Amino acid sequence: MSLFETYGTQLVGALGITALASVLSFALAIVVGTLIALARRSRWAILRVPATIYVEALRNTPALLQIFIVFFGFPAIGIIISPLTAGVIALGLNGAAYVGEILRAGLANVSPGQLEAAKTLGISRGSTLGYVVLPQAFRYVYPPLVNELLQIILGTSLLSAIGVNDLTGQSLVINSITFRTMEVFTIALVGYLIITGLVTLATRLLAKVIFKPPLPRARLRPRLLRTTGGTS
Amino acid sequence: MGWIEIWDNRIPLIDGFVLTLLLSVLAIVTSTVLGFLIALAQRAQLPVLDQIIQVYLWIFRGSPLLLQLLFIFYGAAYLGFRVNAFGAVIVGLTLYMASYIAEVFRAGFESVPAGQLEAARTLGLSRFSILRDVQFPQTLIVVLAPLFGQYIALVKYTSLASIIGFSDLLRQGQAITARIGYPFEVFFVVGVLYFLISYVLSLGAKYFEKRASRGKVART
Repeated sequence: MSLFETYGTQLVGALGITALASVLSFALAIVVGTLIALARRSRWAILRVPATIYVEALRNTPALLQIFIVFFGFPAIGIIISPLTAGVIALGLNGAAYVGEILRAGLANVSPGQLEAAKTLGISRGSTLGYVVLPQAFRYVYPPLVNELLQIILGTSLLSAIGVNDLTGQSLVINSITFRTMEVFTIALVGYLIITGLVTLATRLLAKVIFKPPLPRARLRPRLLRTTGGTS
Repeated sequence: MGWIEIWDNRIPLIDGFVLTLLLSVLAIVTSTVLGFLIALAQRAQLPVLDQIIQVYLWIFRGSPLLLQLLFIFYGAAYLGFRVNAFGAVIVGLTLYMASYIAEVFRAGFESVPAGQLEAARTLGLSRFSILRDVQFPQTLIVVLAPLFGQYIALVKYTSLASIIGFSDLLRQGQAITARIGYPFEVFFVVGVLYFLISYVLSLGAKYFEKRASRGKVART
């Protein structure tokens, strides 16, 4: 494994970039996705319609195309952004469409009786949302959200197409220097399997700590399966 | 705004659209067949094959499709096979999507109550007949909607072919912006074309979702 001796630092750095891009994209996806979910359940069509268009447009076009639009489009109107920033924005906004749909299902699962009860108790609308509705919705959608996180982690590999030296990008660089194709890509593959494995394990442990009573056993296991579309 | 220039470049865009469509249709067929066979094999629970399938599912679902495509494309060349971008993408997409589609079929198989299989066996139906006449019709109605969901993902995933040099729709869009600029407008048109394919498939998904729930109501 002399490949490790020569390129160990780069590979570990690349792993760090993959992790950074994943965390930032997922954070953006959660924030924007929550707003989208709330907008889609809004009483006002002026919020509902744009949110619906947003979700449909982003879920029905490739993530790679969206990455290109941000990366090549913004410089064309005079905004210069780095490949990593462009990639995180595109992946985050893409993920937001999926998170929005997941959370919408979660919000629909909170019974309207609870809203009435909160209103009767004189709890403000903001507090009802923050303390009654959202905690339950997030609990309900935890497994699909974990699934979305895994999809975003795998999706960061697309950033290599715009020149980010993430795990995939860096292994392409090393491959073009050394031509040790099998070794390089095997290392990258193992890297991804380790990340996704660790994240699956960590989220399972986290669920045990934060959810009381615990989530039902069957729902705890994040299935690496999505019913509508993939991040790419 | 560049719309005239884009119209002048309609021929490569249409070429790309056709190739994306062709790639999608081919990969849909191959990955559905492979996914179905994997689900069948999983159901049979053969000792060694079962472990191999487990490892296959773990690797292909736990790593990015792009890396798998690079592995196949560059790896085949490294091992001395002559594979063009189209072949590499077909193989990669098939293996990747089949790992998800197998899961859809597996869930579909499980939706058929075990009692029916026992009843069929008691009635003396052959194993093939049980599969064809009892399991398959009931599985089909359940799996069609999620299958179409997977097909939408597949169409979007074909765009990764552009990275290894296949002149699909996205690649043509890139080439056009490289020539004439207007990235927003060109990629907007490309996006609309992807949306068209995806939207047709989502109509299919919606239709079969309705069909499946109608069947459920009728059964109870």
